[in-house]
Amino acid sequence: MLTRTRRISQGLFLALFLFLFIQTEAKGTDELGWPVKLFLDFDPLISLTTFLASHTVEGLFWLSLVLVGLTVFLGRFFCGWVCPLGTLNNLAGSLRKKRPRPPGPGWFRFKYYILVAVLASSLFGVQMAGVLDPLSLTIRSFSLAIYPALSYAATSLFDGIYRLNLPLITPASEAVYDLLKKTLLPFQQPWFAQGTFIGLLFLTVLGLNLVQRRFWCRFLCPLGALLGLLSRHAILRRSVSEECDSCGACVATCQADAVPAGKEKWRASECLVCNNCDDVCPKNAVSFGLMKGRPTGGLDLGRRNVVASFLSGAFAVPLLRISPLTRPRMSDAKLIRPPGALEEKGFLQRCVRCGECMKVCITGGLQPTLLEAGLEGLWTPVLVPRIGYCEYRCTLCGQVCPTGAIRKLPLEEKQLVRLGHAAIDKGRCLPFAHATPCIVCEETCPTPKKAIWLEEVTVKDREGKPIRLQQPHVDLTMCIGCGACEKHCPVVGQPAIYVTSAGESRSEEHQILLQAT
Amino acid sequence: MKRRDFLKWTAVSSAGLALPGGLGALGRMTEAAQGPDLVVAKGASTPQVVRAALNAMGGMKRFIAKGDVVVLKPNIGWDRTPQYAATTNPDVVGALAKLCFEAGAKKVRIFDNTVSDARRCYKQSGIADAAAAAGAEMVYMDSRKYRDVKLNGTVLKSWPLYSEIFEADKVINVPIAKTHSLSVLTLAMKNWMGVMGGVRFRVHQRIDESLVDLCRVIKPTLTVLDAVRILTANGPTGGDLDDVKRLDTVVVGTDQVAVDSFGATLFGMKGSDLGSVKLAAKAGLGVMDLTKLQIKRISA
Repeated sequence: MLTRTRRISQGLFLALFLFLFIQTEAKGTDELGWPVKLFLDFDPLISLTTFLASHTVEGLFWLSLVLVGLTVFLGRFFCGWVCPLGTLNNLAGSLRKKRPRPPGPGWFRFKYYILVAVLASSLFGVQMAGVLDPLSLTIRSFSLAIYPALSYAATSLFDGIYRLNLPLITPASEAVYDLLKKTLLPFQQPWFAQGTFIGLLFLTVLGLNLVQRRFWCRFLCPLGALLGLLSRHAILRRSVSEECDSCGACVATCQADAVPAGKEKWRASECLVCNNCDDVCPKNAVSFGLMKGRPTGGLDLGRRNVVASFLSGAFAVPLLRISPLTRPRMSDAKLIRPPGALEEKGFLQRCVRCGECMKVCITGGLQPTLLEAGLEGLWTPVLVPRIGYCEYRCTLCGQVCPTGAIRKLPLEEKQLVRLGHAAIDKGRCLPFAHATPCIVCEETCPTPKKAIWLEEVTVKDREGKPIRLQQPHVDLTMCIGCGACEKHCPVVGQPAIYVTSAGESRSEEHQILLQAT
Repeated sequence: MKRRDFLKWTAVSSAGLALPGGLGALGRMTEAAQGPDLVVAKGASTPQVVRAALNAMGGMKRFIAKGDVVVLKPNIGWDRTPQYAATTNPDVVGALAKLCFEAGAKKVRIFDNTVSDARRCYKQSGIADAAAAAGAEMVYMDSRKYRDVKLNGTVLKSWPLYSEIFEADKVINVPIAKTHSLSVLTLAMKNWMGVMGGVRFRVHQRIDESLVDLCRVIKPTLTVLDAVRILTANGPTGGDLDDVKRLDTVVVGTDQVAVDSFGATLFGMKGSDLGSVKLAAKAGLGVMDLTKLQIKRISA
């Protein structure tokens, strides 16, 4: 009975999650209309590690305390009843009818070691929890891989039918396509560097359910581990009556490793409150209720193991920081951060790589880094103007960032933020190198007084014939590095005008001019 | 429209282009019997100005027949609000859509291949709301609907153009008057860049010839130049209200070259200052010399 209620809850929360995900898209105004980062706001792992790494607390972080409070009383209900990745794991696990044997009795401890390492590295300033946080991981994988792939598949299908131009069928499929475009499909096909790779990682997480149901939740999830630690003294507890004849039905049906064998042993920290054991018990001996008590089945993490995990996490910090990219003025010139991004150190301490900013970016220019910001900056957002520039009157990335790594700026303030500066490659630029008219960079420059200005010159072609044309120049006091010029430069391949992070407002080190405005 | 019909259409229209000048002149004479060549209307209420201008042209019924599918092609290229004069005034577009429906149009479709994000352009320009209020359809460009069209021009031999422009019963060009550092001004002829697919920024290398080549095949029923506000500097994007001049004017005509030639005067220039107008007149695509036109000025 309760399992049905639980499934309904899982379905509703998954639907809410997907709804908010799909709403993470511009509709022509600068507001989204929905609290699209709601799930992340409730995530205590993200708020705790961000707090440890940056020593500051953002307003909405308090929502995560709600989940902490509820978990202390009710246990890991979030994992069993709410978490969208948990639900997807359930679905993937049901693809294999026969329940696989548990791989090892102690494997469930592994996620606690991951948690300890993640917390240790945050404590020393490296915030990489987002790589493994289940909500970050799911949003990132959906944004950069799963959704783009589904969109690609749908578009290919409908385009194919469109091209066939079949009577009745094509008009019908176009009507369906129209409806889908207005509801589920993205406005335009998203393209992401590493989309394939990030997608494969996510499919691996789902595939592990065939090795062991809820493999991720049992053995790997650091949020699950954090909630597990908080659940140890939960008052929603499992009790087994005298009727129990140790048939083992509950052990087989347990979604985690909470009921190892004996009827007395029950690990509060592992229980997902899924109620499977209650439903399956042939003697009706299992029940859940509010009661006091100590956890019977302990965690036994082992002091040495915990210390080793802590040291690994702590040592990761210097190991990641010995890259020359972390030195002043040595960062990758193409590391153009979104408008409102904190200076690099503070940015990395907060960015949880959830991919919300990349999902919402109106031009698709925000892409996940691989090693441009060092391994520490893996999957953080970088603007690749050739793919998409920063739209002058858009502030959406700052609105969806859950941790304030990208500050939410009023439009007037955002329009003054310099992401970097544009530079002209005179060897490729048509008016400079090829005596050919072109003013596209100037035309598309969005600042009210154009940062790109044109000089009227007379140049000579090969035959010595004079040609009057305009050559572009960048005014560094006005260029905001949005990349509209780079995006639209008609010189195919390597553009004749391109943006680098030199001059970005967020870094004092990166200024070019003596008096940067 | 099926592919074969489309090819037929291009063949026929190309043949039409080759018509001797005498026939074209004959056509102009019969039009003159029904209304002036250009109407320049001025007034505080934009919808009334548009209505008055069309009345002076002989009424919208002269151009739109019952059951017509009409395309309105405003300039919505940039993500700007109306007061910056970077995009066609939404009141002009809305009023035109209403007039089309009053004249019996079945559908009015509005689109532009924008440079900034289309969602933002449509919404921020106010045109999406104006279209909705008038009952017109605001459509996003469908990348599948660009077809290579033979232009046989001096520069452009063929180019992917948006097929709806040719499939619609009637097309009304609704540009806004702005500065542009290459074509000097962007008026009616330049507005057709908004139905180009492909790497259209390449045409800037021979912009005047390219615009003329486009106008060889794109023949709007009507051109309505929005000069309610004009952008006098930092075009075509704008963004500074100091660059905006309020003229409260709308220019209507059937000859897009004539409209552009008149449009130049709004900026204190002559039609002959615009390379595209000069070349188009030379190619027999329209009249540049304003003294040869019957221009009716009204205030509404």
